[in-house]
Amino acid sequence: MNTLDPTTFAPLERAAQDPVAYATEWKERTGGLVIGSFPMNFPSELVHATGALPVIVQESRTTITEGRSLLPEFYCSYTRSLADQAATGELEVFDAFVLVDHCVQLLGAADVIQRVIPDKPLHFTQFISSMDDAWSRGAVEEKVQAMRAEVEESTGVTVTDESLTASIRVFNENRRLLREFFDLRRTGRLHIPASALQVLVKSSMVMDITEHTALLQQLLDRLDTLSSAPEHLVRLHLSGHFCAPPRPELLNLLEECDVVIVNDDLYHGSRYISTDVPKDGDPFAALASWYLDRNVNVPCATRVQLDVDWQSYLVDTLADSGAEGVVTLQAKFCEPLMLYYPELRRTLGERDIPELLIETEHEGLAAESIRTTIETFVERIRRQRSKQLLPA
Amino acid sequence: MQWYTMGVDLGSTTAKAVIVDAAGEIVASRVVQMGAVSRQAVGVAIESVLEDACLSSEDIARTISTGYGRRLVPGADKTFTEITCHARGAAALSPGVRLVIDIGGQDSKAIAVDDDGLVDRFALNDRCASGTGRFFDVLCRALEVDLDEVVDLALAGTENLEVSSMCATFAETEVISLLAQGSAPADISASVHRSVAARTLGLVAQVGKAIPAVMTGGVAQNKALVTFLSDALGQDLVILDTPQIAGALGAALIARDEYQGQLGLTVQDIETDRQLVAQRSGGLRDCTGCDGHLGDGHAHDHDGGSRRPVPVILQTDALSAAGPSPR
Repeated sequence: MNTLDPTTFAPLERAAQDPVAYATEWKERTGGLVIGSFPMNFPSELVHATGALPVIVQESRTTITEGRSLLPEFYCSYTRSLADQAATGELEVFDAFVLVDHCVQLLGAADVIQRVIPDKPLHFTQFISSMDDAWSRGAVEEKVQAMRAEVEESTGVTVTDESLTASIRVFNENRRLLREFFDLRRTGRLHIPASALQVLVKSSMVMDITEHTALLQQLLDRLDTLSSAPEHLVRLHLSGHFCAPPRPELLNLLEECDVVIVNDDLYHGSRYISTDVPKDGDPFAALASWYLDRNVNVPCATRVQLDVDWQSYLVDTLADSGAEGVVTLQAKFCEPLMLYYPELRRTLGERDIPELLIETEHEGLAAESIRTTIETFVERIRRQRSKQLLPA
Repeated sequence: MQWYTMGVDLGSTTAKAVIVDAAGEIVASRVVQMGAVSRQAVGVAIESVLEDACLSSEDIARTISTGYGRRLVPGADKTFTEITCHARGAAALSPGVRLVIDIGGQDSKAIAVDDDGLVDRFALNDRCASGTGRFFDVLCRALEVDLDEVVDLALAGTENLEVSSMCATFAETEVISLLAQGSAPADISASVHRSVAARTLGLVAQVGKAIPAVMTGGVAQNKALVTFLSDALGQDLVILDTPQIAGALGAALIARDEYQGQLGLTVQDIETDRQLVAQRSGGLRDCTGCDGHLGDGHAHDHDGGSRRPVPVILQTDALSAAGPSPR
């Protein structure tokens, strides 16, 4: 297995584990504003162009306590955690919040945040979810301008073409470097824990992007000799899990069962870094293009596009990575994924691609039961391998 | 030279050990009751089964462990999950099986078995203990009877009371509440069994109904549950003589397969493949196109209209391609 330089990796890991501590320290250091955004489609470049720190608000690992009375138990763990963070003061570091996604549960959490901490501005501008109508592009461009006005109001800074173009450049560079890690993993030339890759992506969502890019470059420069995963490991694709990352313990548990994760479509993974913002032309229109292109590059259950579907993308990407099976990680009560999952399962089943669903929760991890499930899944894939070796 | 392999299943309440010979025949088996996952109990099970088989540990070519305590079994060469092992063991004990319902002390599983008698799809109960052996322990405690009496009571029950099937702890509270309201213990026991059957049906639905269906695990010895579950499924269940050893037997057979592979005796030629298939299938008839449902003109009336489950003939792809046996 490859080793990521521990000195360079440590600050990334700290920021990923405690984004609020990082933002607090950044604020003290720079005196700047910290703007929180909610997943999955807010263009952080817009906030960055004002000089503020854009931070995608993460699910907290603390036990949900006071937040239990603010949202029902049948809301997903991310939104319940947001409500709890609002109630327990964990969101104090943020000066304002922005979101462009329309998930009903997320909007419920936004309502709670507004009620519990009314002094923090919260701006919602809904990006259209029908991606290929004649009016889709115009509608998104209009909403980008609306969000620009909201961000400018919260920060007191005007976003110019020049400042936004510069921000687009640094975010594109950051995504490019992150994709290098993912590309190396997919081609089998990089073997590091999935939880370490998650740290790289998650920290990019919460850290100063220039600082993050410098650390990524250092990691790549100091990467030891590239090594491939042992042949006996079963190659899997991780799918699902929007908004919040799967727990690192779950990723480690998967890999303890003779598994190597070769690709994913997780939000805290390939989905987040899949698409660059076009660097030429009107930078505000470019943000709209980025939003529309993302659903083509890694389709999402929350978006509608006639000629794009997640299951076709998944089948194609499996061929590309050589993954032998798919593990779908589903946050309990995540409605978009719950509604889409039957289609995914049916498509994979028709192609005899092994698929396993694991439901995740904020509270705890039924480790032994999950281990048994994964090991059985791996045993089944191994049997398929050996069947293929039988003489015809 | 004769050789043997061993399978050890360390579950939540019992340790099971099985020894098979090179032909896959059971030489000896043991089930040892214990309080919880226990190294001591597994030691007793291994020593006892060796003694029963008149063998020593040196005679065992390979050992595979399974069950929740599989990593605690001393001397195991490898581990496999109880899902894989129960499927393999059930296929050996009931050739042609397509669905295995395994209910143990702490968990329950539905396993769809493919043409080769191996796991195709599977579903486990959630972290809750409802529908498991522990659930019946709770019922016994609440009714202040032992397990045999609880089964007899359930079979005698007539009224269908509403009992939650969602939580063992809450179910106990409900049982006490029903007793306080004057409900008959027989009706309470029957209703609890019925709710467990409904919960198990939900598990089976995740992998799909199929026949023949076999019950394994300790709870397969509960005649009342078998009756209620058969009703819920709308099909007969094959009951094994020794349902508790299915996992350990599967482990022993997988160990045998692996050791054969080491010796170069693995399935490399079509004739060996035929022998293995014949051993698994028992030459029973195929119920072509059947999805396990009765009715709509489809009755399991093979074997003279006995309505017994109809096993299918197992075939490997290689065997199909080779055509019929010359013998």
